Amino acid sequence: MRGLRVYTIFYLIFLYAPIILLPLFAFNASTIIAFPLSGFTTEWFAELWAAPAMHQALRNSLIIAVSSAVLATCLGIFAARAATRFTFPGKGPIMGLIMLPLVLPEIIVAVSLLVVLLGVGINLGMWTVILGHVLICTPFSIAILNSAFLSLDGSLEEAAYDLGETRWSTFRLITLPLIMPGIISSLLISFTISLDEFIIAFFLTGTEPTLPVYIWSQLRFPTKIPSIMALGTILVALSIVLLIIAEYYRRLGVRKTGGKDTGGFL
Amino acid sequence: MKPIIELRGVNKYYGDYHALRDIEADIGEGEFFSLLGPSGCGKTTLLRTIAGFEDVSSGTVHIGGKLMEGVPANKRPTNMVFQSYAIFPHLSVAQNVGFGLRRRSDLNAPAKQALIEDALDMVGLDGYGGRAAHALSGGQRQRVALARALILKPKVLLLDEPLSALDKKLRDQMQSELRRLQRHVGITFILVTHDQEEALIMSDRIAVMFEGRIAQLATPQQLYRRPQSRQVADFIGVMNFLPARVTGVQGDAVALEVAGLGAVQIAAEQAPGGAATGQASVGFRPETLTILFDGEAPKGRVADGVIDEVTYYGDMTYYAVRLEGVEQPLTISMRNVFGRKVLAQGEATRVAWDPGALVLFG
Repeated sequence: MRGLRVYTIFYLIFLYAPIILLPLFAFNASTIIAFPLSGFTTEWFAELWAAPAMHQALRNSLIIAVSSAVLATCLGIFAARAATRFTFPGKGPIMGLIMLPLVLPEIIVAVSLLVVLLGVGINLGMWTVILGHVLICTPFSIAILNSAFLSLDGSLEEAAYDLGETRWSTFRLITLPLIMPGIISSLLISFTISLDEFIIAFFLTGTEPTLPVYIWSQLRFPTKIPSIMALGTILVALSIVLLIIAEYYRRLGVRKTGGKDTGGFL
Repeated sequence: MKPIIELRGVNKYYGDYHALRDIEADIGEGEFFSLLGPSGCGKTTLLRTIAGFEDVSSGTVHIGGKLMEGVPANKRPTNMVFQSYAIFPHLSVAQNVGFGLRRRSDLNAPAKQALIEDALDMVGLDGYGGRAAHALSGGQRQRVALARALILKPKVLLLDEPLSALDKKLRDQMQSELRRLQRHVGITFILVTHDQEEALIMSDRIAVMFEGRIAQLATPQQLYRRPQSRQVADFIGVMNFLPARVTGVQGDAVALEVAGLGAVQIAAEQAPGGAATGQASVGFRPETLTILFDGEAPKGRVADGVIDEVTYYGDMTYYAVRLEGVEQPLTISMRNVFGRKVLAQGEATRVAWDPGALVLFG
């Protein structure tokens, strides 16, 4: 028992110490990342705010992450509904191929996409990064939405249709509200995956860097490291806030539909 | 009887699987009609075909005189109560019940509200409108599902095993309530069930189905007394079978030689499945046989036997009796009378029987 407890504590330190160091050095009044701390400052945040290249990178990342999340979730809804409601020839292999990017090394995906895009003659830019991110986000989206559709009783849709609704209004009035927690989860996870994805973005971005690519390029300048720490701090805080909001909506959804809470992010 | 639903030569294939075979039936206006059969017999497929969720591979379905080919479920004058009730969990009871009124632009909000309250009142849920649907008990969910389906005043209400999820006591109560509701609204109810007792209690007529085919379509009494095949006889209640041989047919009478009972003459109508020749079997219900207690005079004919097994139910006793020269014991049900003893295993007994109660199977 005691051994397990020590193991747990070490595991948690290993997991969170780097993340706790992030804000510590972001507010430290020194360009050198080392203890002892030399005083409190918000200079690095000010510097970050004043860097137009960072703004541009952030803007690119947000556009790419939101687009990828929405596109991947839309595709995920179609695929998950098809996989859970219908049987068709070749369903197994097709679903398997769709889910494959989940385990495919990203570097392979990035290189092959680059070769194909250059071969076809498409200019690299935000759209090509979105394309790559949709490819890797969609399997996650399908996995999340599959379970949302599986827990939805198919006769609910039939009942609405039987009561005079069309296929589309049935989807809007019954299916969509009931799988909404799954959609929110899928959007959030796709957004997060896209936001911190580096390899595909690095290969396909052209002259419009995303935030991770920008961070990587700044690491060459030691004086920039504290402001990168500041940026990291903001991203961690943002993630926590997003996660809390998502969890709130997920629990609200479970309560509203009277389902049994089978656990979420938190 | 004016038919509201006419099924003509309905066949349904799923790939190679033949789910419905040459279904022919007329279901009358205001009738309580049941589709009865074991699981996988096609009864739910037939219900869903009437509802419009499945299309026919061949044959026609008419509802209210109109051909239903190409008419989807949301345009048919039928509404369905699902086995799981399919109550929309994110809506209130009133929103569930009023769901079908959404597209009725001819009604204003107060008129819709009044209809919802009437419907809730009809199923005994007045005052429940504001409740969250997911907080209801099983019996209440069923009532909401009924109110929701009936509010559109369909020509036919389709019920897919609506009582199977309820416990015994609630089921008995809902059986008589459903029957009362059907008389009150006066429309045709089509009930799918695998429970023969439920079908007998509730229905005006029953279609017994096996392997995609209607084996017999008749009133509960006809089904019980004059089953057309051994399969139907076996499925509805308890039936004793004895091997028999047809020895002659004279006009309206059939002469038989029945194992353990001897030579018997029966009327032709006692062979509802058609005339049998040569080797056949006869069946009779447990209550058509009577154990003769000491000194009782027989009404009809008598056979000798030995009590093989006794099952005591309080109000009834079921005896398994072995007749002389017959391997298979017969089940005989006797109402227990105060002051009369219950026979024990191994006792010799006399059994009175009536040739008129026999059913001949080919």
